Amino acid sequence: MGWLLNAKRATLIAAALVLTFVGLLPVFLMIVESFIVDGGISLTNYIDVFGNTRTWALFRNSLALAALTTVVSGTIGVALGILVAKTDLALRNTLAIVFSLPLLLPPYVLAIGWFEVLGRGGLLARLFGVGWGEVTSRWLFGLPGAVLVLASAFLPVVLLLTITYLRGVDPALEEAARLASPWPSILQRITLPLIRPGILLSLVLVFLLSMGEFGAPAFLRLGVFPVASFTQSSAFYNFGAATAAAAPFIGIVISGVLISGRLLRNKAYSFRWAGRDHAIRIPLGRRSPFVLFAVMTLAVLLVGVPLSGVLWRGASTAALTDAIQRAGDSAVRSFVYATIAASVLCILGFFLAYIVHRRALLAWWWLDGLTLFLFTLPGAIIGIGLITLWNRPSTNWIYSSPALLILGFVTQYAALGTHMILAGFSQLPLSLEEAAEIAGAGWFRRVFVILVPLLRPATLAAWAAAFIFCLRDLSLPLLLAPPGGDTLTARTMTLMANGSPELVAALSLLSIALVVAPLAVLAVGWHAWSKPA
Amino acid sequence: MRKLIWLGFAALALLGCRASRQNTVTAYVSEDQVFSEPILKDFERETGIRVNAVFDTEEAKSTGVMNRLLAEKGNSQADVYWANEPVRADVLRQQGISTPFQPSNAKEIPAQFKDPEGYWTGFSARARLIVVNKNAKLKPVSILSYVDPKMKGRTVTANPLFGTTTAQMAALFALWGDEKANRFLDGLKANQVKLSTGNGESADFVASGEFDFALVDSDDAVSRVRQGKPIEIVYPDQSDGEAGVLILPNAAVLIRNGPNPENGKKLIEYLVSKETERKLAFADCAQIPLYPGVETPKEIKPIEQIRTMKVNYAELGAKLQVIEPMLKKWAGY
Repeated sequence: MGWLLNAKRATLIAAALVLTFVGLLPVFLMIVESFIVDGGISLTNYIDVFGNTRTWALFRNSLALAALTTVVSGTIGVALGILVAKTDLALRNTLAIVFSLPLLLPPYVLAIGWFEVLGRGGLLARLFGVGWGEVTSRWLFGLPGAVLVLASAFLPVVLLLTITYLRGVDPALEEAARLASPWPSILQRITLPLIRPGILLSLVLVFLLSMGEFGAPAFLRLGVFPVASFTQSSAFYNFGAATAAAAPFIGIVISGVLISGRLLRNKAYSFRWAGRDHAIRIPLGRRSPFVLFAVMTLAVLLVGVPLSGVLWRGASTAALTDAIQRAGDSAVRSFVYATIAASVLCILGFFLAYIVHRRALLAWWWLDGLTLFLFTLPGAIIGIGLITLWNRPSTNWIYSSPALLILGFVTQYAALGTHMILAGFSQLPLSLEEAAEIAGAGWFRRVFVILVPLLRPATLAAWAAAFIFCLRDLSLPLLLAPPGGDTLTARTMTLMANGSPELVAALSLLSIALVVAPLAVLAVGWHAWSKPA
Repeated sequence: MRKLIWLGFAALALLGCRASRQNTVTAYVSEDQVFSEPILKDFERETGIRVNAVFDTEEAKSTGVMNRLLAEKGNSQADVYWANEPVRADVLRQQGISTPFQPSNAKEIPAQFKDPEGYWTGFSARARLIVVNKNAKLKPVSILSYVDPKMKGRTVTANPLFGTTTAQMAALFALWGDEKANRFLDGLKANQVKLSTGNGESADFVASGEFDFALVDSDDAVSRVRQGKPIEIVYPDQSDGEAGVLILPNAAVLIRNGPNPENGKKLIEYLVSKETERKLAFADCAQIPLYPGVETPKEIKPIEQIRTMKVNYAELGAKLQVIEPMLKKWAGY
């Protein structure tokens, strides 16, 4: 028994150490090195960065972009979430899927789509004249365009969390309130206050993700922190300056993590996503067609238009053939890397989720916060940290191989595996494991015979989410992929330099197919597997 | 069990990546991928040697892979650096990153486009030309037109911190001396010259009429002409006594302590061959061959017909390192 207890602790401590070593150590080392200039301790990097007016202009841009994106996606996402989860709106589930599609794609694909519509030579310019294109292009290549792209990219975060939390509300509370109050009042006084932590969490996540986004602002030439940080690291390889430039951002990320931790602390919130949808629904009545029309119009605008833009430019046999010839190998590599990383993330996430849910180690809260912290850090920062740590002859076997990129993915997305499996844990009665323990089952047996099978849906969902995020990531592959081992996202970015618009659009279509096709196969496979014989 | 199978695949994939390194060459490439990759693919087909390439993004301009080479000085990953201009190639010589190699295929390339000791070898060049909107009222004939008060607010240039514009600045500092070059930079600010993110964007701004002219690379100019954009190409400073056009050849560099130096040499021989020059001349990048007698497309002048700026690229490399902090300050970085 004592051995088993030790084995359990050893496994959990090993998982905690893996996250700390793989994730935190590079970031820590990078921060330390930013204080070393010409062999001595110096604040030069920080003095240079904070004394530069450009830094504060970037800070303003980043804050404005993140705030506006949060407001737009928060407003639309919560409203849509209520319509999908609480009303009898027709086609609500289909619409939820349509609005969630952008989450599957790298945000720069949406930016390319909008460019094909609003750019100087875009669809709008062709339809209404060059003058239109000039105006819309100027609008797109600036803050409004970046907000539009990121709001549509991150709206699904708010939408899905709102839906999830709304489905977790006990219907009995709303039913009791209905005896005395109309729906608007129930929503305002009961439902929304109950899901406030979920909404706030989604807003914090959108804010931090928008602050950390690199691809879309880079494409739209908007000067923000992640782009500046990437330039400092990738163009100048000035890691000290890049780290110093990221310092205000790291401060914001830590604040965001503390806020989200405070929001969720002591909220014994139970997701009900495995069960049937028992929510009582608000009848829209005669307003139904108008609401449906408005929501469908929004779906066309936010999702249909950019995807049509990419299709319009890139869906020709010649362009697609060129894209496959130039980037087919990268697409295969993207798939392999994402598959490996998602599997590692699920294994690590399982044990980290166990630690957090069962409070199995004293540092459970710290590990929980660390995963969120790493999730919201810009990829360039994590990339610099990993290069700083591993770029030496003794560790060249890691540095020169795809393992470095896999480590990057594991660092950045540990939160996905951990938190999605954690949601699964919250649905399992503790008594199952306790009963098995009383019956004499050891810890590993309880894990593999009871917990792993019962957590299969949550683990599969975590795997799919991790797979998508690894597949769509851009800044980590740009910095960490080995020579000749780039991913499709990185290849698309390097081919953008003087590549034809048709090729770039076709590469975007390839990115979409690369995400959607495996997920469709996974969904069909899961459906067939889970169907009773 | 399934996860174990996946892990097995993962291990195999990683091993596969390492096993396939035997007959390979690793190239870091600053030339745009759309133009350089077909050449590398041809090399693979003809020699059977696999090229593992790292390309620069638009954001990293042509500085990304060079700085990566500097960062990997004690842990070299690359065999060859294909630079899109020789100034940064010479910085690598000065930093002890490169090693001499004089390819036999480059014997006919004029000496001014090669490092005398063989630390880099030039091939297929770009010229720094001016593109002018056809509707512009004033036509520039010199790079000094940027500081002509009549052009105030009507001109654009790529950020001098990146790409070939840095080399242009280093050339001006070397040619004019610090005082005149600094006056020129101040003049750019006073004349409200717009900074773009790259030469391609500068050319697009001029083509759309937002600005009257821009100093760009010949490939950016030719591609816009081929697209039917309303621009004209001007070869600046061509009169007697004037500075001439800055020519920036690509440069092939052998990296010191690279993993596969012999394959690296083979790749360099291939890059500096007449055949590669011909391919790059007739590709969309329309680069100017340095070998006498290699055909050029109709949109560009052969090298013999251009009054070229007399520069020492090694001197420019040293100058670049000196002026970079100042350029950063000037550009607000």
